[in-house]
Amino acid sequence: MLPSRRSLFRVAGLAGVAALIPLSGCAGNAGQQNGVTTLRFMQNKPEVVNYFDQVIKDFEALNPDIRVIQDFNEGNFVPGLVRNDPPDVVTRGFAKATADFVKKGIFADLSDLPAASTIDPEMQELISSWGQYNGNEVSALPFSLAAAGVIYNRDIFDANGVAVPTTWDEFVAACETFKTAGITPIYGTFKDSWTLAQGMFDYVSGGSLDSAEFFTRINAKGADISAEAAESFTTNFGPALPQMLQLVSYSQNGASSKNYADGNAAFAKGQAAMYLQGPWALSQLVSANKDIRVGTFPLPVTNNPEETKARVNVDMALSITRNTPNMAAARRFVGYLLEPSVVNTYNEKNAAFSPLKDAPPVTNPQISGLDESVRKARYYQGAGTYFPPSVPLHNYIQSFVYSKNGDQFLAALDDEWRRVAERTAV
Amino acid sequence: MTTTSTVAKVGPSPERPAETNVRRSPRRIDPTYYWMVVPVLALFAFFITLPALVGVFFSLTNYAGYGEWTFIGFANYVNIFKDPAILQSYIFTFVFALTTTVVVNIVALAIALGLNAKIKWRTGIRTVFFIPMVLSALVVSFVFNYLFSNTLPVLAERFGVTPLATSILANESLAWLAIVLVTVWQAAPGATIIYLAGLQSVPAEVYDAADLDGAGSFRQFLSLTLPLILGYLVINVILGFKGFLGTYEIIVGLTGGGPGMATQSVAMRIFSGFTGGDYSYQMANAVIYFLITLLISVIQLRLIQRRGVSL
Repeated sequence: MLPSRRSLFRVAGLAGVAALIPLSGCAGNAGQQNGVTTLRFMQNKPEVVNYFDQVIKDFEALNPDIRVIQDFNEGNFVPGLVRNDPPDVVTRGFAKATADFVKKGIFADLSDLPAASTIDPEMQELISSWGQYNGNEVSALPFSLAAAGVIYNRDIFDANGVAVPTTWDEFVAACETFKTAGITPIYGTFKDSWTLAQGMFDYVSGGSLDSAEFFTRINAKGADISAEAAESFTTNFGPALPQMLQLVSYSQNGASSKNYADGNAAFAKGQAAMYLQGPWALSQLVSANKDIRVGTFPLPVTNNPEETKARVNVDMALSITRNTPNMAAARRFVGYLLEPSVVNTYNEKNAAFSPLKDAPPVTNPQISGLDESVRKARYYQGAGTYFPPSVPLHNYIQSFVYSKNGDQFLAALDDEWRRVAERTAV
Repeated sequence: MTTTSTVAKVGPSPERPAETNVRRSPRRIDPTYYWMVVPVLALFAFFITLPALVGVFFSLTNYAGYGEWTFIGFANYVNIFKDPAILQSYIFTFVFALTTTVVVNIVALAIALGLNAKIKWRTGIRTVFFIPMVLSALVVSFVFNYLFSNTLPVLAERFGVTPLATSILANESLAWLAIVLVTVWQAAPGATIIYLAGLQSVPAEVYDAADLDGAGSFRQFLSLTLPLILGYLVINVILGFKGFLGTYEIIVGLTGGGPGMATQSVAMRIFSGFTGGDYSYQMANAVIYFLITLLISVIQLRLIQRRGVSL
């Protein structure tokens, strides 16, 4: 017998109601069960999940009353804040975005943690220079410092009798030597605009002016900034632009249609002598060509070798969220992560620099060329990292590289900066 | 009256039972209809209307997406009108949507005319033409990205066509044409289906009569086919234009808004508010954009009603 039309309608209606039911499900939170505290640990590097799995296993063996769940999807952090349910312990790359969280008081004060005193004060300053909550709190402790410079192919350098340049003139001479020999001096990947920002833009601006000091001044100036002001981009970045364009001119033809992945593959195959990339590219280069011999040197931007600096970023900084119900356990976990055996091993394995005062010198030949800069604290955080994410800086830089119109570029930056300052100040 | 019209959108063949019910007892409406409408209405209100209203509310604050916030009145709206980058994204989006709508409809109509003719392997060819419709726009744009950046420059270099030797995507004044091309490639099949339906609804007798009158095929197209499928053309133009105004994933896959600022669409700017701590500002942008699209929709609806077409 066929069901009547009316009963069919009824079924359809019930199905509609049923669709609503799951909405009221899933609520409640674990946290503590049978005396075991569960910590949620969100880390920002999906490629090192295995390392932290091992670290967590060791930690849990020593601390049977704590269980740690690793979450490597950093994208969940802001939604977690919005839901008022953030993870207990977080690692983040420390730059403008994280500094904004610090300003909003998202993180707990870690200054009285015993491990805090083992950290190199210069590296801690990389974090506190962004501003401290309540003026004195330590909201994040550095865990891993990535230092970037010019990655170079040692074989190509040796074959052409070029030594690692220590001044701008030597660097230009080296580029000319390669050019004459028919070798692309620098591999450009302009299609991915971030590579221009982190390489050309950050290296030249960081080497020729004090970016931290510049951004402190321009931030203090606030919304009433004009292009003529002493604090403006036009005034401060103008002199660095010709050097940036000179770097661009040493790239291969067609760099504007190459992206980061193309660049890694081409550089690994020896298609260029130098590559303006950070340590994150090293594993890609080796996986594309396991025999490649590379090194890194900080880009000299002046003719005084003493002034040469490396671009660094705090790749991972440890924080505890302020409202966590598991503060004691979270502090124990952070303390464990900063034990030399954990933090130094991590940085050794990942071509990065340990933040500890008495960390051993870096011997990895791929990055050892930056060791001196890092030990002497001759470094800067890239100018690009100081921009609020709402300014499409990378697009502006790309635009500048294509049009070579420096005045327009800096005027646009001044304008954007002023507009963001205006609307965030109100 | 209102109930019947609401139900008409949901029920499979609702007109008849509704009428019989009304005749039997004029006051009573079968509660089943409410069971069908109310959950959907509740879902719609909860997932679409409510978030939209929350967005409007936050556009009046300086909320960053998290943390503390205060009311700032219409400051966000005032600032948007002073922001040349936002203005540029509006210009780009409208120029893009207009161009794409025109090109899509010309291409789709041409394909539909061809597929409607009695040609060999018609079914097979139709299938081939409809494949782009089932592919995800993001996948399509990544494939085209590769073609534009790698394959095309290599070919151009080999055959000595120097202007094409660098990727069109890297050219600030031409990149948007690449986006138009890929969007047309992806959107034309959908429009073609609608045109095919329209062409099949034209009775064969009118062409027979035109043949007797001695009208050529171009004259037949202009004086018979086009007026008879005009309703379908209006639908395609309206649906297409509305869709292209919200363009997002193809641009993300092709240029990411670059080179420079050349291909930033309004939708991309709005979405950047979620990651950029610029939530309330871009919410204000979204409200403005909503009002503009609402206005366009109202104008288009008026046009439709005048033409006697229903969507």
